[in-house]
Amino acid sequence: MAIWTVLIPLSPLLAALLVGGLNFFHIIDGESGEKATARITLLAISVSVATALGLLACDQFGKLATSYHYGDWLNSGKLAIAFKLTSGGFNLALASLFSLLLLIVMRFSVNYMHREAGFHRFFFILNLFAAAMLLLVLSGNAVFSFIGWEIAGVCSYWLIAYAYDRPVASHNATRAFVTNRVGDGGFILAIGLALAWLESADWRAINNGAADLDHGDATLLALSFALAAFAKSAQVPFTPWLARAMEGPTPSSAIFYGGVMIHAGIFLIIQLRPLFEQAPLAMWVLAVVGALTTIYSYWVGLSQTDIKSSQIFATSAQLGLMFVECGLGFWTLAAWHLGAHAVVRCYLLLTSPSILHNTRGRPTKPVSPMLANCRWGFMVSLQRGWLEAAMDWMLVKPIQQLARDMRYIDEHIVDPALGAPAPAIKAISSLVEWEEQKMGANLTSEEDRFAQGSGLAGKLAEWTAALLHWFEYRFILRGIGRDSIRLGRRLGRAANRFELLLLRPRYLALFVLITLMVALGYR
Amino acid sequence: MNDSLPLLSLCLVWPLVGALALIFVRDQRWAKRLTLLVAGLELSITIAALVGFNPDHAGFQLLEDYSWIPGLNIRYQLGVDGISILFLPMTALLTLMTLLAGWNTVQHLNRFHLALMLALESVTIGVFTALDMALFFLFWELTLPPLFFLIGLWGIGAERRHAAMKYTLYMLFGGVPLLFGIVMLAINHARYAGGGIPDELVLSLPILLTTPMSDAMQTTVFLLLMMGFAVKAPLVPFHGWLPTTAMEAPTQISALLLGLKLGVYGIVRFAIPLAPNAALQHRWLLAIIGAVTMVYAALIALRQTNLRRLLAYSSISHVGLVIVGISAFNLQAIQGAIMQLFNFTLVAGSLMLIAGMIQQRLGSNELVHLGGLAKPMPRLTVLFFLFALSGIGVPGTNGFPAELLIFIGTLRAYPSLALVALFAAVLGAAYVLGFVRRGFWGPVACAAVAQAQDLRARELMVLILPALLVVVLGVYPQWVLSLQEGTLNAWLQSMHRPTVMITQAQPVVSKRLASAETNRHEE
Repeated sequence: MAIWTVLIPLSPLLAALLVGGLNFFHIIDGESGEKATARITLLAISVSVATALGLLACDQFGKLATSYHYGDWLNSGKLAIAFKLTSGGFNLALASLFSLLLLIVMRFSVNYMHREAGFHRFFFILNLFAAAMLLLVLSGNAVFSFIGWEIAGVCSYWLIAYAYDRPVASHNATRAFVTNRVGDGGFILAIGLALAWLESADWRAINNGAADLDHGDATLLALSFALAAFAKSAQVPFTPWLARAMEGPTPSSAIFYGGVMIHAGIFLIIQLRPLFEQAPLAMWVLAVVGALTTIYSYWVGLSQTDIKSSQIFATSAQLGLMFVECGLGFWTLAAWHLGAHAVVRCYLLLTSPSILHNTRGRPTKPVSPMLANCRWGFMVSLQRGWLEAAMDWMLVKPIQQLARDMRYIDEHIVDPALGAPAPAIKAISSLVEWEEQKMGANLTSEEDRFAQGSGLAGKLAEWTAALLHWFEYRFILRGIGRDSIRLGRRLGRAANRFELLLLRPRYLALFVLITLMVALGYR
Repeated sequence: MNDSLPLLSLCLVWPLVGALALIFVRDQRWAKRLTLLVAGLELSITIAALVGFNPDHAGFQLLEDYSWIPGLNIRYQLGVDGISILFLPMTALLTLMTLLAGWNTVQHLNRFHLALMLALESVTIGVFTALDMALFFLFWELTLPPLFFLIGLWGIGAERRHAAMKYTLYMLFGGVPLLFGIVMLAINHARYAGGGIPDELVLSLPILLTTPMSDAMQTTVFLLLMMGFAVKAPLVPFHGWLPTTAMEAPTQISALLLGLKLGVYGIVRFAIPLAPNAALQHRWLLAIIGAVTMVYAALIALRQTNLRRLLAYSSISHVGLVIVGISAFNLQAIQGAIMQLFNFTLVAGSLMLIAGMIQQRLGSNELVHLGGLAKPMPRLTVLFFLFALSGIGVPGTNGFPAELLIFIGTLRAYPSLALVALFAAVLGAAYVLGFVRRGFWGPVACAAVAQAQDLRARELMVLILPALLVVVLGVYPQWVLSLQEGTLNAWLQSMHRPTVMITQAQPVVSKRLASAETNRHEE
């Protein structure tokens, strides 16, 4: 039975490949193809939902193995990374919930995206995202969770940049992806550490092995995973990317940042409960970061005037609360909070366009007098705590500055120093100069300077050449020039005589004999 | 052992035959078709070699061994092992791709161009298969003349002559230490075998691998060889030729230069195994140079406004990562490194060809002339993005398993360098996506872009095979890995083998060598 778990992520993946491939080759395209795309998508996700619910029922009656091992994905010496799916417990329950939410959102999108330019693209991404998220949740192995994690990130990038011809959208997408990339670094580091210390990246092995780990090692491992979770679930200081992510179409916002992807971080922490329990410091970090995010998001949310922004700061505040719960050890509460919040937030974001529609024409509610009277507090809220500006100032600016310096060094120091740099385009200032060049007058040429070079090697060669030239010219050509010619003639005559001598038969025979003897003796 | 069918010689000679046959084909169109046929057959021959290769056997296979210059003991010795086998079909595939991509771009001296391309293919395959050091050096230097003419005559930049000169000078500069290193190896063997200089010189790699060498000598040889290969790889600070060449050379040639990493191959094949002690001693040097190259080039890439220069710097940065992986000296890292070399052919080559397609349409790769390419050219954008994702190392593409393995291996050997690699990975996402944002997304700014045509059928044909390989190897990388595993295991074992000093080891090893010699004769 457990073997069927693979259908849950596989069927949306196949749908993604099908929709993407058919659209790439223009087999389904435009409005006429919308039906086909919608059918493929809904069928695939329905298969996932049915499988997940069926397995969940089996799991409730205890008739299911907890995991299924499909084989090794990658083997390198002692390192083996298995493809293994968990088919039970929290993972399966969450997979069922997520697949249900995905089904609802996909059905919603079929109407919502009707006649949009990127209809097929949208469904390709949504299918791929569904596969990635379900893989993330079900994988029994950190590497495959990471694969889902990263592909979901790429999908999020694509959907933020959905309206790619708007510069703001593409800029926000890049920003969100690069921010997430920092968290991915944490995830990869954690995988590497787990493989180095525990020789396995299976979730179960990591959790079981955590007890044997050194205290510091366990903390480092837990913090690496926590970094990944903070970035994905938009905790301080990564929160600003979430607000930027609202550029995508509404259903995608609902499923990515309301329902599913945003909860991946907290899911990761809950999954690693035994590891975190071995690392009290990491638990503290969870609680503190979660609390900070909650306060920050609440404060910023107070002054938001558009519906999606206010929703999204509420989301990060709730996620902060979940991190606090994990940090304090209320794991079950955090898990329930996750599930409940996913449903509610997904619904709220899906209905946000209708809410706007219904409340049109009503005046905007002023901010609460408490905030309005506190000038600095209001400013902080409006400026979103200057968090993004601070990160820019601390990280992005220095790196850009460094990049500028490196480029300068490369172009002005390293390249010329090694010689033969690319010359700047030599501008010709006047028509006369151009004519001169055409005629071959070469008035400005420096080529009579014997040899020219640039850079260290080039200059060295040039100087050596100049020195040798001087030596040759002064001493050999001028000094002994005439003598050398006379000497050469005399030598030539002597050589001629010698050769004539050699060419007499007896000398020739002797010479051949000597050569042969030398050759043989040498052997 | 000389096989009944000399497959490798056939791989080597077949393109040359094709190049000579071009003399007799006057018609340009038939010349192109003939070249395509030759290149296609070459691909099938190399695939036949791949099929004939037995991955379980660690040593050299498909051996061909004939005496060539008996006076110096130079032999015509060809063979492949798990490290080199994959480069043969890759070279053939990339050449085929470049021929197709440049189908209509070359307008003058068409047949000469085609002949040079075929000659270059033959010589490159020679570099990958030669086992005799002298033969290897010959092929190594013979790559220069075709490239000199290809860059100088058909370059797309205004400074193409200069770039051709720069490339040649750099390569000649690298060739000198390489030659010295090879001569020292041969002399060391003669000294060790106790014979005279011309008689006991041995240049055959399998024999030199078993010849013991004193530590001082090893260090000298290692540094000389490294110097030679570092220029070609290229590693900082010898990288100046690559960005210049990428800007000036025809894009097909840049694709070949970016895709086929002869320098890194040389390091893995010759520099490290021939001087194992020195390599182990100086691994920190390798690691540091690799790390510096990786970060330095990535930072410079952040500032690039030209796609081709960006690709050149990104390629240098990736070479740095591969060198870091090699310096870790464990199976995971080295497997990842070799797989990454394999990926370059697919990814860097294809990206450069796409840059060429853009160049052909718009006459420029500069950002000011791009912007909004996704609108008129969706297919080109999709494929570019796929290859770019592989370059970033996103799961689902072949870049991910390679980078994961390199990272895991490096984390075991040098934890701090692994962190540097993570930093470079974040930078990698930033520069690629930054360029995609400015060049491919956003509003269409130039009239030329709005009228640009999407991929033609021929161009689609060029890119679709590498695109499929990127995805297939990303999903199932084990195929490439198991091809190399046996060879690389033996490679590592020989690294950690206890060393024998020249003075103590005389009797034992000379006996072993004698038996090796007799084996060779029997075979």
